[in-house]
Amino acid sequence: MSLHFADYLIILVYFIFVIGVGFLIKKKIKSSNDFLTSNRSIPLWITSLAFISANLGAQEVIGMVASGAKYGIMTVHFYWVGAIFAMVFLGVFMMPFYYGSRARSVPEYLSLRFDEKTRGLNAISFAVMTVFSSGISLYALAKLMESILHWDFDISIWVSAGIVMIYTFLGGLTSAVYNEVLQFFLIVLGLSPLVIIALQDAGGWDNIKHLLQPEMTHAWKYMGNANDNPMGLHFMSLIFGLGFVMSFGYWCTDFLVVQRAMIARNMGDAQRTPIIAAIPKMMMPLIVVLPGVIAITLMQPALESKGYRIPTAANGELDYTMTLPSLIAHYYPTGILGVGITALIASFMSGMAGNVTAFNSVFTFDIYQSYFVKNKSDRHYLLVGKCVTVVGILISIVTAYIAKSFNNINDFLQLVFGFVNGPLFATFLLGMFWKRTTGHGAFSGLVAGTIAAAITHGVTVAEGKGGWIAPLYPIKSGMGQAFIVAGVSWTFNFFTTILVSLVTKPKPDEQLKGLVYSLTEKPKYHQQKWYLRVVPLGILLLVITLLLNFIFF
Amino acid sequence: MLKKLNDLQFVIGLFFSVVSVILLLNVLLDDHSSNLNIYTGSCFLVFGLAMMLIRGKGN
Repeated sequence: MSLHFADYLIILVYFIFVIGVGFLIKKKIKSSNDFLTSNRSIPLWITSLAFISANLGAQEVIGMVASGAKYGIMTVHFYWVGAIFAMVFLGVFMMPFYYGSRARSVPEYLSLRFDEKTRGLNAISFAVMTVFSSGISLYALAKLMESILHWDFDISIWVSAGIVMIYTFLGGLTSAVYNEVLQFFLIVLGLSPLVIIALQDAGGWDNIKHLLQPEMTHAWKYMGNANDNPMGLHFMSLIFGLGFVMSFGYWCTDFLVVQRAMIARNMGDAQRTPIIAAIPKMMMPLIVVLPGVIAITLMQPALESKGYRIPTAANGELDYTMTLPSLIAHYYPTGILGVGITALIASFMSGMAGNVTAFNSVFTFDIYQSYFVKNKSDRHYLLVGKCVTVVGILISIVTAYIAKSFNNINDFLQLVFGFVNGPLFATFLLGMFWKRTTGHGAFSGLVAGTIAAAITHGVTVAEGKGGWIAPLYPIKSGMGQAFIVAGVSWTFNFFTTILVSLVTKPKPDEQLKGLVYSLTEKPKYHQQKWYLRVVPLGILLLVITLLLNFIFF
Repeated sequence: MLKKLNDLQFVIGLFFSVVSVILLLNVLLDDHSSNLNIYTGSCFLVFGLAMMLIRGKGN
């Protein structure tokens, strides 16, 4: 694949615009709250699109296309079982606590609800995870550009990190959020023509169903037995592991996405943010799963004349991560090729900027201000926030180079993230809905859940990974293993938190008002029109999601 | 103009309009350019102008 003048010009225009947004926002930044929390001033349509765009990083775009090619239409479970239900739950039940408590971050909510040690554990693990995720995203971008465009690895790293640093340093969270919305439109509109022409080339959905094995085009039909489907999962493992633990854990507790709802103008908008975001999220499989299914169809003997193949890795197996870049190279001519490459770059930048802005909020408010330097002027924390942005980007660059030298570090870090994130939702669920939950209980539960996750991974083995204690339980796919690890860690956290809470002293009710469901005044919706109320909107979305599951059963 | 640039809808509209102009110019200047650039460029132009106009109406 080689780019021409028009392609480079489009990439350049994109860079100018994202940096320009940073300069435009800069003059509005007056305080640390402006820089780190956008001062709760962002309109609903922007928070909603930023909410899904923060998740629309490289892992989502390239990873989901790869999964579509590897596992077929079952990949939609990440959306129609996982994301939508969790987003509706966040909007209806959890946002009133996050927003109503006036906490500036998820760890700060934990400090209000439980205690400082629970906040510290969550803040430190989250800060480490986000900054390393950002580095891995950077590494993946440079590696991709090196392999498909033969761009220099170092230049790709420094240019993309430099651009993200400029616009996040200038405009903080607002700048990142505004750019995320631009990136959202670019990714969706830039990849839509690819889906249309590739689908046409594959003969339409009916021909895909005709050419592929049935388990690749049915979401549920072959999940009664783990051996019958490409993921190697029973439907109960999927519903509990992905649908409940992993999705709710990510969408409802990860500050990276929750932060986008917390910057809305008022409680109503904060609640509506994840629910409005769920509408485009529901449609995202058209952009990020369908191309993968089309790609594998184009490799069937009947369509050999189309001349498309997913590239192979050094070991001779299909390199699924190259599915999307290879489709772009195959179908996009000069001009629109620049749009496609810019969309890929945008997805990486979006992921990186999201991580960096979440990192600097948590580091400044939950680590620096809470444990190191208290009671300084607002100007001091604004300066620290800006410095942390630069430091976060520099650590990301170092991580990217470490990832280059040690290939396994990516897998290792993803694994550790899974151990930490897996059990987290149990802590929030109990903390928000059971007032008896104590700080000691929450902290012990998080530690027990993380240890349980590590042990489960150590005794299960899938695709050559895991089993480092003893390979006792073989699992067909790595994804299935991740669901089981998450399920076990959640269960251990849940019961440990309950047991320890029962033998330790809870906070008095007065201190839990606005933080626990039973002690919080419920938002009143009856004065609003039905389409502004979160409950009817949420129910409507769930009904449509169920219908989609039924259609692709 | 500077005031308009403070509005995200206007910025997004302007971005897609500029990209559409590049795509359509590429069609005009390159004999071998694909029809895909025409279709995509036209769609981007409509989207870009619509975003800018919506912003204008909103004001």
